[in-house]
Amino acid sequence: MLNFLDVPNSLTLASLEVGHHLYWQLGNLKIHGQVFIVSWIVIGILVTASLLATRNAQRVPKGIQNLMEYALEFVRDLAKNQLGEKEYRPWVPFIGTLFLFIFVSNWSGALVPWKLIKLPEGELAAPTNDINTTVALALLVSLAYFYAGFSRKGLGYFAKYIQPTPILLPIAILEDFTKPLSLSFRLFGNILADELVVAVLVLLVPLFVPLPVMLLGLFTSAIQALVFATLAAAYIHEAIEGHGDEHDAHSP
Amino acid sequence: MFDFDATLPLMAVQFLLLAALMNVVFFKPMTKVIDDRNDYIRSNEADAKERLAKAERLAKQYETELADTRKAYQATIAAAQADAQKIVDQKIADAQQEAQAQREQAQKELDQQKQVAMQSLEQQVEALSREILDKLLVGI
Repeated sequence: MLNFLDVPNSLTLASLEVGHHLYWQLGNLKIHGQVFIVSWIVIGILVTASLLATRNAQRVPKGIQNLMEYALEFVRDLAKNQLGEKEYRPWVPFIGTLFLFIFVSNWSGALVPWKLIKLPEGELAAPTNDINTTVALALLVSLAYFYAGFSRKGLGYFAKYIQPTPILLPIAILEDFTKPLSLSFRLFGNILADELVVAVLVLLVPLFVPLPVMLLGLFTSAIQALVFATLAAAYIHEAIEGHGDEHDAHSP
Repeated sequence: MFDFDATLPLMAVQFLLLAALMNVVFFKPMTKVIDDRNDYIRSNEADAKERLAKAERLAKQYETELADTRKAYQATIAAAQADAQKIVDQKIADAQQEAQAQREQAQKELDQQKQVAMQSLEQQVEALSREILDKLLVGI
């Protein structure tokens, strides 16, 4: 769909492939194999790091335990800032896993030279540059905040749609669609755009010039993981609190 | 680019499984480690604070005891000095009295002897004067 750069194949040092996937057939369902391969690697990294960190937990942390404790405190603070001291504890695993999975996915896409591994079709990349992944995560966030709202207030959760005035009902309903939409497209767009920019620059000038953009890509990847997790926590908080009068600005 | 297929629900399920797994292998144990450490630090801190307060209380107690003791021994020294002074005064007074008495005694003896001497002298004078008178009157 977007492989506009495959014109003179003999000249390209790196090629861009967007929209080419390694399809796996599962029954009569098609799935994107490359997304799952990299996501399994990401999951493997996360689980291995967790096991290494907690296997021999010391009172005075060092090495990987220190790193993972820092990660845990980071996501805990993130959840606490958004959800408040009273509510944040049960949501830490969900929000924390969101952050860690997206963060490691993004950085794996930016740091690991996947192109060295040849696939029959498509190429390995960050799982988050596939729209399926980001939409799946965003829909899970939607389900999570609906669950949070219903488990807290039961059917009274619907009161928030007409809370200040029923005139805003369409906007309130629309918001439930824009939230996952903006979440998924923000993440997908940023990661895909970053990989595309790096790929195009590598295509034009293979050495050194893409480095600043790659660094920027690392930065963006981290920021996007943070934004996604923060917004997920903010949405959940909004559903728990009710009174939709403090809408979070949808950051780009 | 926007081809949705079975990747989406599978990824969602996979993510939920990952979240559950991470909850078991990472969030729960690590939170427990951190909370345990916080408890440990808090209890240790409370313990240390208690001990510090106790030590300070003991130090204060010792200081007051020290002050009391100092006051007591100063009082003792003062009393002993006063006693000693009294004894000294007493002894001096006694000695002076004795000396006075001895001096008076000596004076008395002296006076007595003087009187005795004067008496004997008077007798001798009388005897002599009689002798002289006898000698003179012999001539007549």
